[in-house]
Amino acid sequence: MPFKRILVAIDGSEGSNRAFAKAVELARLTGALLIALAVEGPLPAYAATVGEVEEVRREKDAFFGALAARARREAEAAGLEVEVDVRPGHAADLIVRFARERDADLLVVGHKGHFLQDYLLGSTADRVAHHAHCPVMIVK
Amino acid sequence: MSDLAVAAVLAAAILLASTVSVEIGISVALFELALGVVVGNAFDLSVPDWLSFVGSFAGIVLTFLAGAEVDVPQLRREWRASVSIGAVSFAAPFLVVMAFAYWALGWNRGQAEIAGIALSTTSLAVVYAVLVETGLNRTMIGKRIMSATFVTDFGVAAALSILFLKPTVWIVPFVAASALLVFGLPRLSPWFFARYGNRVIEPEIKLVFASLFLLMWLGGRAHSHAVLPAFVLGLALSKHYARHRKEQERLRVVAFAFLTPLFFLKGGMSVSVGALWANLGVLALLFMAKMAPKLASVYPLARRYCAPHAGFTTLLMSTGLTFGTISSLYGLNAGIIDRTQFSLLITVVVLSAIIPTVIAQRFLQPSAAEEQRRTAEPALDEAG
Repeated sequence: MPFKRILVAIDGSEGSNRAFAKAVELARLTGALLIALAVEGPLPAYAATVGEVEEVRREKDAFFGALAARARREAEAAGLEVEVDVRPGHAADLIVRFARERDADLLVVGHKGHFLQDYLLGSTADRVAHHAHCPVMIVK
Repeated sequence: MSDLAVAAVLAAAILLASTVSVEIGISVALFELALGVVVGNAFDLSVPDWLSFVGSFAGIVLTFLAGAEVDVPQLRREWRASVSIGAVSFAAPFLVVMAFAYWALGWNRGQAEIAGIALSTTSLAVVYAVLVETGLNRTMIGKRIMSATFVTDFGVAAALSILFLKPTVWIVPFVAASALLVFGLPRLSPWFFARYGNRVIEPEIKLVFASLFLLMWLGGRAHSHAVLPAFVLGLALSKHYARHRKEQERLRVVAFAFLTPLFFLKGGMSVSVGALWANLGVLALLFMAKMAPKLASVYPLARRYCAPHAGFTTLLMSTGLTFGTISSLYGLNAGIIDRTQFSLLITVVVLSAIIPTVIAQRFLQPSAAEEQRRTAEPALDEAG
């Protein structure tokens, strides 16, 4: 079944890098539009100083800006265009909502992300697979 | 335990708090407070003199930073809404908590005043994180909430400095030095920072620290507190820091790496778990005494100025953390409140950072995109 819109979630982890490479490969084979979503994790909750929040925000902006640029370069090298969107929020929830919003017909995610919550609450990939409206490919 | 042994334990706790905070995504200050409670109670450690000294200074640095983070032009633009919401957000819980502690709990006047001040605060940082994460900081409602928070904190700083004032002749040099620094430093800083700034030895940070130590010393001699002039000094320099972000960043690095962890650990170490356990009912009542007047007084004004998100605004204005901790620690250090009262107040402060935030985010959070669309037209009108 050819895919028309492939959404891949990226966060700079090894798992998401592998997922992105696989999504590029699939988009090239099927001629699908490739969309990448980078989810900035939440800012420090219950912060004591505005500075703590601002500095984390700046670090995240710089990190995810570089990540988006890298995704564009890699897709370009494979002869593809990629739409990259960087949004703040909680990963699983945002990926599922964004996939619906962009009407993706395949969602590609890495097996393991960055965060300790993955170990405590189950991985982002598990939660995305459970709630997504479309097929989900989990790349190991 | 020797001073060095205590320092080693605290350094390990600070490191642990930082790493866990990064992994979990919750403010490092809460972990420092929590680890302070663990260290203080498990090892039965009392706060050593050096920690008390550094912690007191860190509290003043935190106050200065809070002032420096205020967006003054925004406050000017939204002064009517900010002053209305911010003033009642301070006054209502201050009066209700003070009356409750005095008449219902039998605390003396000074203790009741500290309770009133500590529980009337609104946390700019907690509010800011929620607004930034949702993009609401760019909307009219977000800007109004942040400005109102500043007004509440100003009320807290003023109350802390004025209510416990027992003037001596030192009040004259204290007020004179405060005025000199508040009016002089913003004028001196462009020249000073241009000539001596951007060096690894950081003369500009030393200038700020020297000013704050001077205020603390004179404030102590005058039987007052440096929190108000430190806050206003930060405010006076906020425009300068807005133009020179790197300087502000370096000051934050020094503060967050060394000073503020010791402040929050000191706060945690002063908490008695046993006293809290024995007073759970009082804890619940104090929490209600903070929340009920905040909700009741802010909501009508929020309906007027922040409609249709009055509930969200009201809950965010009910949060508290840093100024509540500063006020409680001041009361404890000055011998106004005892360890049990401090434990109760600091726990209510921490609960008020978490509970209203969770409810606001989970049930009442407006969409930033919708809010921007809704306010686009009036904002354009105002700009025109």
